[in-house]
Amino acid sequence: MKLLKIVALAATALATTLSTSAFAQEKLTMWSRSSSEAFMPALIDAFNASHKTQIELQIVPSAEMVQKYATAAAGGSAPDFVSLDLVYGPAFAKSGALEDLTDVAKSLPYFEHLSKAHIGTGTFEGRIYAMPMSADASVLLWNKKLFKQAGLDPEKGPTNWAEIEAAASKVNALGGDIRGFYFAGACGGCNAFTFMPLIWASGGDILVDGGKRATLDSPQMYDAINFYRDLVAKGYVPESAKTDSGKNFFGGFATDKIGLSPIGAFAIGNLVKNYPTVEFGVTFIPGKDGGKASFGGGDNFVVTAGRDNAPAAKEFLEFVYSLEGQTLLAKLGSLPTRDDVAAEAVKSLDQRYQVATEALKIGRTPSSPVYNDIINSSTGPWKQMLNEVFFGDDVKGSVTKAQAAMQAILDEAD
Amino acid sequence: MINSQKIHDGAPIRRKSVRNRRKQFAGLLFIAPALILVATFFVIPLGMAFWMSLHNWPLLGRPRFIGIDNYVRLTQDAQFWSSMRFTVYYTVVVTIAIFAVAFPLALFADKAHRFTKFYRTAFFLPVVVGFGSASLLWAWLLDVDSGLFSPAAEYLGLMAKRINLLADFDTTFWSIIIMVVWKTAGFNMIILLTGLQGISTEVQEAARIDGASSWQRFRRITLPLMRRTIALALILSVSGSMLAFDQFYIIADGGPQNRTVTAVYWIFSQSFGSFRLGYGAALSMVLLVILVFISVVQLRLLRTPEGM
Repeated sequence: MKLLKIVALAATALATTLSTSAFAQEKLTMWSRSSSEAFMPALIDAFNASHKTQIELQIVPSAEMVQKYATAAAGGSAPDFVSLDLVYGPAFAKSGALEDLTDVAKSLPYFEHLSKAHIGTGTFEGRIYAMPMSADASVLLWNKKLFKQAGLDPEKGPTNWAEIEAAASKVNALGGDIRGFYFAGACGGCNAFTFMPLIWASGGDILVDGGKRATLDSPQMYDAINFYRDLVAKGYVPESAKTDSGKNFFGGFATDKIGLSPIGAFAIGNLVKNYPTVEFGVTFIPGKDGGKASFGGGDNFVVTAGRDNAPAAKEFLEFVYSLEGQTLLAKLGSLPTRDDVAAEAVKSLDQRYQVATEALKIGRTPSSPVYNDIINSSTGPWKQMLNEVFFGDDVKGSVTKAQAAMQAILDEAD
Repeated sequence: MINSQKIHDGAPIRRKSVRNRRKQFAGLLFIAPALILVATFFVIPLGMAFWMSLHNWPLLGRPRFIGIDNYVRLTQDAQFWSSMRFTVYYTVVVTIAIFAVAFPLALFADKAHRFTKFYRTAFFLPVVVGFGSASLLWAWLLDVDSGLFSPAAEYLGLMAKRINLLADFDTTFWSIIIMVVWKTAGFNMIILLTGLQGISTEVQEAARIDGASSWQRFRRITLPLMRRTIALALILSVSGSMLAFDQFYIIADGGPQNRTVTAVYWIFSQSFGSFRLGYGAALSMVLLVILVFISVVQLRLLRTPEGM
């Protein structure tokens, strides 16, 4: 009896070793950044459960993703697939590390319905190297409770800058620790997300001519700067905003002491789940005299070049873009990336997601191989300029300097 | 060797030279581990860094040889030179501050009290905290809302409203100076203490009997005899400060408005923010040359008459 047990045990052990090693050869590897931890593992599990192709997901700390993937690609040990912050698409495509996915993309019947912001940064010199994976879009949040206390209509969000300022003023007048408006004043990435839409919605732009020319020195930019400077000068913005490098990007509004804050759709799920007492509304980030705009953020799906993984990639993408995949993503915290099923995918969720889904439809993302250098870098021209113009004295000088610095980086990259 | 060959002649010398060579070989074997370590972890990487500095070496994509273009370019890099100026300014201020605190501490801890051991340990404690963790701690202490200094000042009525210490250059700079002094004064105290204890009490006593005042004894005996110790502490402090990075990165993020970006911070930002590894390597080589120059000057200035 005992002997039989041992033999049986040994046999199962052998069988599992054999089967896992057989699996390991078919398994494709994929990396995803830690900020997508809420939905990527579940999505991959669902895919593996229903497909012969198997994907093994590894979560990489968000801040290390770019360096890690770059060095792995150079050393030949890169994973097959990566879910990469969409702004880095052009940099990796330019370096030749990515597989051309144009044929895969064009073969999808709903190609036209995929997020334009994602496809935009995924396209380099006319070819598509990256496809939408997960999405986020910037929106404007207001605190309904504070609006009510301040005598404002809690169900109506502001639709232009004058209304934002008026609302911020009334909320601010409640006194104590309560402030009218919040933004992370020392964070390049956050302000790309929340400040650029102010300019876009007013008819301006940051990069033109296919990302070759910087246009920081525009009238719309000065208008938007003066709008923020006013909010700061009148004391509607907490002192801590001056040095917030993004750590408190979300935390500011979550304190329940901020009237309005432009932020990402990720905040909706987070607030509902972790700060249920905060009553908030969601609307579009408006332009000076109305209009609306949004920054399309999130991740793109890329395939490491030279491995003949296009069929598997297509299989995976078809799953991601199916109603099942989109619903799963939406439920766990990413916006749907395919707009013809988006409404269906967020149907069962908080109604406020509808606004964010609409925002993603008009979402824009500046595309440049040197995006990190000009926008995200903490020593880069965008971040430095914004901090100077929001809180400093020499607006014109700062803008002129940043315009020259940004153009120099763009010229050099060419 | 040549001389000895002239004096001696014939077979015995051969045997001796063979023995010498064997001895030399044995010596080489003994230092081989050290040589291999130095070569692997210093000489080869240094050579590679120099090689990289001659290339346009992106983090992504293929490197391209460009000769000295990186070096030409860095002469025009306004941010690098302003970072360099800031780093030198920081080094001068922080070194003076560290010595101003560490020397009295060492003199104090040198005397025999009831609690000498306790004081020494207490002064040394911050040293064993890593620079990164210490910076995080102070980043919190300096936070305008959830920190200690600003809310405490408001609570005690010293300030009408909370002040964001990290929003202004001077308050940021001096906060970091205080943090670094708190963090490193203990280490310098220990070094200076060893120097102090190396001075024989007889010399001091003889001077006291001769009627020298305590200031005269410090000035004429303690300081000159501590020259080497001071040189060591100074060089460690200066080269450490010239390479400052953690505290400015973690506490101030180079702010406000890039004004506390140190040389190493700029190298880091160019290499891993802008993905220009080659250019970062060129900046590192320049920083290395400047550091070697500063160290040589210091060693010369502090050289004792009989040599270091």
